[in-house]
Amino acid sequence: MELQTNLRRIILAELLVPLALFIFGAYHGVLQTMYLSGVIRATSVAGIDYYQGLTAHGVINAIVLTTFFAVAFGYTVVSQQLQMQVSIAGATFSLVLMLSGAVMAATMIFLGKASVLYTFYPPLMAHPLFYLGLVLFIVGSWIPLLTWIPVYLRWRRENLDQKTPMGVVGIFATFIVWQMATLPVAFEVLVQLLPWSLGWSSGVNVMLSRTLFWFFGHPLVYFWLLPTYVLYYTMLPKLAGGMLFSDFAGRFTFMALILLSCPLGLHHQFADPGISTTSKGVQGVLTLLVVIPSLLTAFTLAASLEYAAHQRGGKGLFGWWNKLPYFNSEVWLFPYLFCGLLIFLFGGITGIINASYSMNNVVHNTAWIPAHFHLTVGGPIFLGILGGSLLIITGLLKKPVVSGTMAMIVPYLWMGGTFIFSSGLFMGGLRGEPRRTNLGLTYMNPTSPAYRPDWWVPAHMGMVGGCIMGLAVLLYFIVLVRSLAAAPVAALSSVPFLLPTSEPYHDENIPAVRNFAPWVVAAVLLCAAAYYVPIHDIVKNGIPTAPGFRPDSPSAVNNAH
Amino acid sequence: MSINVFEKRALLGAVGAVAVSLTLIAYATWGMGISVASCIPLGSKPFTEGSFTKHDGKNYEVHFVARMWAFEPNVLHVPTGSTLDIYAVTKDVTHGFEIAGTNVNLMLVPGAVANGRVRFTKPGIYTILCHEFCGRNHQNMNARIEVGDQFADLSVEGLPASEGMKLLDAKGCLACHSVDGSAGVGPTFKGAWGAPLQLTGGGTRTLDSALFVEKIHHPETIAIKDFPPVMPVIPLTDDEIAQIEAYLEGLQK
Repeated sequence: MELQTNLRRIILAELLVPLALFIFGAYHGVLQTMYLSGVIRATSVAGIDYYQGLTAHGVINAIVLTTFFAVAFGYTVVSQQLQMQVSIAGATFSLVLMLSGAVMAATMIFLGKASVLYTFYPPLMAHPLFYLGLVLFIVGSWIPLLTWIPVYLRWRRENLDQKTPMGVVGIFATFIVWQMATLPVAFEVLVQLLPWSLGWSSGVNVMLSRTLFWFFGHPLVYFWLLPTYVLYYTMLPKLAGGMLFSDFAGRFTFMALILLSCPLGLHHQFADPGISTTSKGVQGVLTLLVVIPSLLTAFTLAASLEYAAHQRGGKGLFGWWNKLPYFNSEVWLFPYLFCGLLIFLFGGITGIINASYSMNNVVHNTAWIPAHFHLTVGGPIFLGILGGSLLIITGLLKKPVVSGTMAMIVPYLWMGGTFIFSSGLFMGGLRGEPRRTNLGLTYMNPTSPAYRPDWWVPAHMGMVGGCIMGLAVLLYFIVLVRSLAAAPVAALSSVPFLLPTSEPYHDENIPAVRNFAPWVVAAVLLCAAAYYVPIHDIVKNGIPTAPGFRPDSPSAVNNAH
Repeated sequence: MSINVFEKRALLGAVGAVAVSLTLIAYATWGMGISVASCIPLGSKPFTEGSFTKHDGKNYEVHFVARMWAFEPNVLHVPTGSTLDIYAVTKDVTHGFEIAGTNVNLMLVPGAVANGRVRFTKPGIYTILCHEFCGRNHQNMNARIEVGDQFADLSVEGLPASEGMKLLDAKGCLACHSVDGSAGVGPTFKGAWGAPLQLTGGGTRTLDSALFVEKIHHPETIAIKDFPPVMPVIPLTDDEIAQIEAYLEGLQK
């Protein structure tokens, strides 16, 4: 069945508009590595301030691009795998809210009214329209799940003997996590920040706002990751020419991430005052439990690849490795997923280091942190978004990918760039180099009393890596534009576009992972248990509230009525 | 059907890996005494000025105050082998407090007191960095701790701030003009008093009292080369101007 025509248009808008915005996001990424290494020694370039560009980089790349992809990919998977029609009115409303929110926030950033970075920690205060844009964007992203639920329930009634398709399980897990995670941040923005920026309240409880932000901020990471996991579990084995080793592993992983995504945001606040070491310790332990579904995923995907390689004639304990389609332009999508997995090995290991309680003292807020998350959100997730978008865009438009070979080179180039970039930032971070700081003006400036020559090599590695990453993005856009400009393939016009979908090799029937409800209930209870004490501590102590400050002045904003 | 035997082993392996990690973390916490930032109840132990006290021997307590965009105290001289109990607060936005090369890594959040302990066994110069974005001059916000055998006792520089410095801070001048030579929206104050200023469109003038008063009251009339003409009118009394001038004259070295 072909997707509804209007839904096709909505999905294309949800993929292409953020990709267009991403050009600015990527440009400011490359530029930042130059500021950091002191190649650019200025407060701004072409009228855009360093911290303004950094805000654009974070908001566009980590929030706008990732969320739009999750929604577009979700619509594609749900309607294809359930073979049912979804609500076009809902999809349109969601698109309008998300687009107007994104444009509002982006406009404020480019006007220089919201240089507060993508974490928007108070008491730095942005323009009210920046906060309003965030709210519209988030509320818009709630709609898809709400409209999919009745469709899914009807499907279950009509298909009592069938398992829910793996992709649908993954997409529902994605948006259940998103729903739980975005409620606290919506509260933060709507109840705390928006009235405060309008001058309706004189101060903000900053500790509460940070805690609500990270209640959202860590599950945000899993929200980024889950659509990529859907790509891995449903497409990677098929692309490799094999089957998914274990159906149970996929379902267990998705359910475990529903359970464990939210009650662990405090590991971002190990260095914060006002939260007891016990609360931090509890959430530290919960964070490490995520290792279990992650390692199971690593095992299952490796086993699926090994199975596929054996199908292709691979032999022996290690001999099968060279039988996978690493450089086959017909399956150009394979390296996007495969390189992502390789990058994610290092992203996962460094994530465990960050979460390991006292070890966090060494790396907190240093360059180590962006080095880590460019191996997660900037690695498997970003490559998943690039590959997935190209697949869906060309698929829906019935256009060829021009050319498969060029498309295939992008992930390898990106992987090389990220490894160099992140190695530099890891090294710098261990030497104390701070993250998101315009180093070129002071720490990387030989004429400044604060000059740190021991950060020179790490910062320049970051720049070399960043430029290679920029090249990979450029190459990707050449492929995208050439593909969009190409004539549709006549032979495809009568064939409905379908995402590649793997069959399971071991298809165990384990009832515990076949129903969302117990996992969602357990997740809510676990969140309440993990967050009751720290939030109670913060609220009951009557912390003095803080007035707002603009990033360019040390005098408090006086806009209270 | 049941789970594949290799998959079971992988699951057990994952559980084992978590158990090993948690054991090691527990050992670091209780066995080696390395922990994360502890909780001082919010709103307690408030202070608004940097200071230090000596407890006994080489044990000191230092209070840091962070503001956009400096730490107070700014330079510490510390005898090798000293232990510092650090308490730190912020006067304005959220700041970071990292002593590079040590385990002290704290967030300074409005309304809360952060605390950490560090023992300096090796001589050297340790940088204190703000590692949380705190506004446009964030990259200028640092302090340093000099550790050496030549120091008999702990001493600090940058305390207490002079009246002129407090005014520069209170009136927002430091948003654009640094006092340590680093770049900003406007020229630095360091070494500026009595020195020639390049004007936009050619010519130079010496920064003296006459020029300073004119620039304060009518900023638009004097444009400095290479800097944007964005200075607002700053309402200052003659007394306040005199105090700032006295401070700027002392900023020569």
